[in-house]
Amino acid sequence: MEGEFHVDIGPQYEGEVIRKENLYIEFGGPKVSHRFELATVKSADEIEHEKVEIIGPDIGDLQPYDEEKGGGSYPIGILVDVAGGELDKDAEAIIERRIHMFTNMIEGWYHMNQRQDVWIRMSKECHDKGFASLRELGEIYILLYTSEMPIIEAIQVTIITDEKKVAELMPHALEVYSARDERARTLNDEDVDTFYGCVLCQSFAPTHISIITPNRIANCGAINWFDGRAAAKIDPEGPIFAIPKGEVIDAIKGEYSGANAIEADKSLGNYDRVFLYSAFEHPHTSCGCFEAIVYYIPEVDAFGVVHREYRGETVIGETFSRMAGESSGGKQIEGRLGTGLEQLRSPKFIQADGGLERIVWLPKDLKERFKDALEAKGLYDKVATEDDVKNVDELMEFLERTGHPWLKGEV
Amino acid sequence: MTKTIAMAGKGGVGKTTVAALLVKALSQKGLVLALDADPSTNLNQALGLPLDDSQTVGSIREKMTEDVSKGTLSPTIPKQEYLFGKIVESLAESRGFDLLAMGRPEGPGCYCASNRFLRDSLDKLVHDHKYDYIVMDCEAGLEHISRQTTRDIDVMLIMSDPTIRGITAAGRMKKLIEELRSNVGRAGLIINRVRGDLTPEMRKAVEDSGLEVLALIPEESGVSDLETTGKAVVDLPAESSLQRKVQEIVDNLSL
Repeated sequence: MEGEFHVDIGPQYEGEVIRKENLYIEFGGPKVSHRFELATVKSADEIEHEKVEIIGPDIGDLQPYDEEKGGGSYPIGILVDVAGGELDKDAEAIIERRIHMFTNMIEGWYHMNQRQDVWIRMSKECHDKGFASLRELGEIYILLYTSEMPIIEAIQVTIITDEKKVAELMPHALEVYSARDERARTLNDEDVDTFYGCVLCQSFAPTHISIITPNRIANCGAINWFDGRAAAKIDPEGPIFAIPKGEVIDAIKGEYSGANAIEADKSLGNYDRVFLYSAFEHPHTSCGCFEAIVYYIPEVDAFGVVHREYRGETVIGETFSRMAGESSGGKQIEGRLGTGLEQLRSPKFIQADGGLERIVWLPKDLKERFKDALEAKGLYDKVATEDDVKNVDELMEFLERTGHPWLKGEV
Repeated sequence: MTKTIAMAGKGGVGKTTVAALLVKALSQKGLVLALDADPSTNLNQALGLPLDDSQTVGSIREKMTEDVSKGTLSPTIPKQEYLFGKIVESLAESRGFDLLAMGRPEGPGCYCASNRFLRDSLDKLVHDHKYDYIVMDCEAGLEHISRQTTRDIDVMLIMSDPTIRGITAAGRMKKLIEELRSNVGRAGLIINRVRGDLTPEMRKAVEDSGLEVLALIPEESGVSDLETTGKAVVDLPAESSLQRKVQEIVDNLSL
């Protein structure tokens, strides 16, 4: 590669940081409101292979950063369009993320964040070596993409610095990002071979392990399957690690041989089975810091959910903290399930027990927060809150009156 | 190897001013990360940097926790990466040093995961930026030391005013830090606003505290002027006696 470009390229530059003292110019970053990077899979006839287009002023046309006067921060849009017989939409996120790695592999270049948070810096030394055009950056991208990802058969790169143009294209990029997130949210346990385990809370609950799957966020609500994957990749021996899913023993209750094995191992032999989608049978253990508790109400044979922020008494007369005290510490307690709140949106949320349709009481705050999910199942008007009922007798009357589907036996 | 220096001491003893001077002195020798870990003081002000409240590590963590619970954070961007990016964005970069404000400690709820990610992010920050020194301006409660950094402390400097009570409090602080941390290299006492010599009673208190006296800063050194006017240490004349004192500390400790 030497000779072809003004600076060196290689993995040895990946850890290179460019501080302000050493900054020539930056694109994107916290001082710039219009910035994004986007990879798109197109058909071969839509792509002019190896074309680099610059829209807007180039490095040489722009005022560099000045220690006295500041400045030197500019909008950026990077479009990487690719084609290849084997490529599909799902590859876009992976290809786009490579912009981060490839930029950092260039001597004197620094890339942070992704999507609409992108932040790229070029050093003074890099400028001194003669790097004066974004065209060179585009050419390096093309070289790296084609040499490192043979699946890409044709590629063109467009780098935009014209603020108006970046602003004009940004909404489309944001749409693509949220469509991708939507697809990720519909990833199911059936689609993967690996779950993740988290024992960060074992200092509080030595027999607790959070099992994290596409359909099950950690009890604290902070770690989803993608976070687990990222953490396990960085430090496979760390407190967040991969669990081979193993055999599906019961798809409805959520029993997997891999989860059972890790449960036995990490619970110090206390438990050897765990049903990921049930609050009744072998329910998931609870640490000490779950976001909410799913609790059984025997009189109506259904569940209530209460979250940490709710200070008052629930419909069964107990507060969150009292229930938390009884349910925590890494125990499996039938009818009491510590959970992350987003779990209420999971299609497998206590599916063995009837799912969201078996919820009859929620604090008002939660009912509002999950309004869309409740409405989708026709439950919004049928679930009671602290404003509707004060005790189980009132709850029974409320459910009768509103015709809650669980009590009517429709579930 | 990054050397970590922690400054501790109760409010009003000139801790932040000395921390800022230490940052300045060390930034002549290498790259410094200044950690403002005391939510009640403004190390940034002492260093002459603008204040941006929205950009503390605490507020980034709160925002992330909030976004997670609202479900507005992208599920596919790992939180470790998100947090690290935000921390780098919130660095105030200056000549020879970067400043990171820790902000308020956490509210209720579970922070096991987010604090873990935070510690990892801070470690990565120090690793990537190859800081030669970390200077932490710590609060008396020491929350941040115990929770959010995994680093051992090479030198702990505890500031006190020239009172028996102040010196005794400094001794207690030393014990507390030692209990919270696995490793503290050297612990020393800096007594500020000293008039003349220490009294025999004060010497006894120092002895009982188990701390070695690293420096006595005389009353007339100008610390109180800076503290009362809220001026930045960069406004100090180049050869002030205060600056010389801090340089002495740096030399004596072979930092």
